[in-house]
Amino acid sequence: MRVQQQPAFILHQRHYSETSLLLDAFTPNYGRIGLIAKGARRPRSRLQGILRPFQPLLIGWSGRGELAVLTGAETEGPDFAIDRQALYCGFYMNELLMRLLHRHDPHEALYTCYRSSLSALRADKTNEAILRVFEKHLLREIGYGLVLDHDIGDNSAIRADALYDYIPERGPVRVANPDLNTRHKGIRLRGASLLALANETLDDLTTLREAKNLMRTILTRHLGDKPLYSRRLFYATTAPTVAGIERKVNT
Amino acid sequence: MKDTNVLEALKEALRRLPGVGPKSAQRMVFHLLERDREGARQIAQALLTAVDRITHCKRCNNLSEHELCAICASPRRDPTLLCIVESPADLVSLEQSGVYNGLYFVLMGRLSPLDGIGPDEIGIPRLEALLNEGAIKEVVLATNPTAEGEATAHYISELVRGRHIRATRIAYGVPVGGELEYTDRNTLARAISGRHEA
Repeated sequence: MRVQQQPAFILHQRHYSETSLLLDAFTPNYGRIGLIAKGARRPRSRLQGILRPFQPLLIGWSGRGELAVLTGAETEGPDFAIDRQALYCGFYMNELLMRLLHRHDPHEALYTCYRSSLSALRADKTNEAILRVFEKHLLREIGYGLVLDHDIGDNSAIRADALYDYIPERGPVRVANPDLNTRHKGIRLRGASLLALANETLDDLTTLREAKNLMRTILTRHLGDKPLYSRRLFYATTAPTVAGIERKVNT
Repeated sequence: MKDTNVLEALKEALRRLPGVGPKSAQRMVFHLLERDREGARQIAQALLTAVDRITHCKRCNNLSEHELCAICASPRRDPTLLCIVESPADLVSLEQSGVYNGLYFVLMGRLSPLDGIGPDEIGIPRLEALLNEGAIKEVVLATNPTAEGEATAHYISELVRGRHIRATRIAYGVPVGGELEYTDRNTLARAISGRHEA
């Protein structure tokens, strides 16, 4: 099989032998694919500086099976020069794709969503909201789409002012009496947060917090025990700032 | 039969070196045994000594024969300036440029979440301890301009600023003696956005 001029993003790359690279690329028509880029690390290779994450590419390859051979790559416009916190978000999305997508399953819609998420990250919109929307699309693409518009108990539309328990793999059920200390069946959140996630308008802190809690629980079920390493980057960045403030207060 | 085993074992051992395949390993073995047995002894002795004696400098984490490496121990270096690099090879390159006069910290890697390499794996706690000593006034982030290198630089810059220390990043640009026509687009884009007063 020979493919040419296929849009792609590099998700991950590893050194292979002396001068080559092993790549995981994400393409619209062929999904996530494994590639070997022979000689890509030679000092005068034309691929130097091109095969990088967050750089839109047009690539060609030949061969089938687990590892095809990269036959060409060129940039398709400038890279999504994301930096700082947005860069961590980019790694996080890449890690999710690496962990949750099977190789060779095409995901055209998800590719579009990934691209627009990178674009939004560069434009410096609220990072968290971009990630939640991306996660929603990712879950739908791999066959575990969330139910966000109706109560799975009585099929009624979600009410913004009601409270719900989201039962994983099923959907939201309205909490009849929030004051009653009933056993927690799922992830509790406001109808407003479900609707915001459905409409992709996550713009207040409570909604963001509830959406994150929901997504984290659901994703953990699909990711298994192995942690997401890119999350560790986020944890630590908040810590020193807090320490800095504390020091200021003490002195 | 036993002879061949010793020979094979030596070939296998040499193949651990980067860039050495079966063919070159065989060439090295025959060269050393047929033409340069004294050289072979020297290599063996030098390797043993190095492996036994060289550890990491307790301050900068670079490879060093002594507890404190020559750069860290030098009174001529500026102790308020700390440059962060990914590897000893990067440190050597910067030293050869001859313009940097501060101290270093060698990460021996970079943050690479998709490979499971996080802050603890690249010695961030040791770096934090160094920053906490209070002598450093500026940290120069000289990790590579790759996605992982950028993430590492940003991560460390947060730690540095949290301690009210100045953090700077090395500049991007067109190579000296290079030509714009042959410079890649991303480098040019950064060269333009990072331009300075002429």
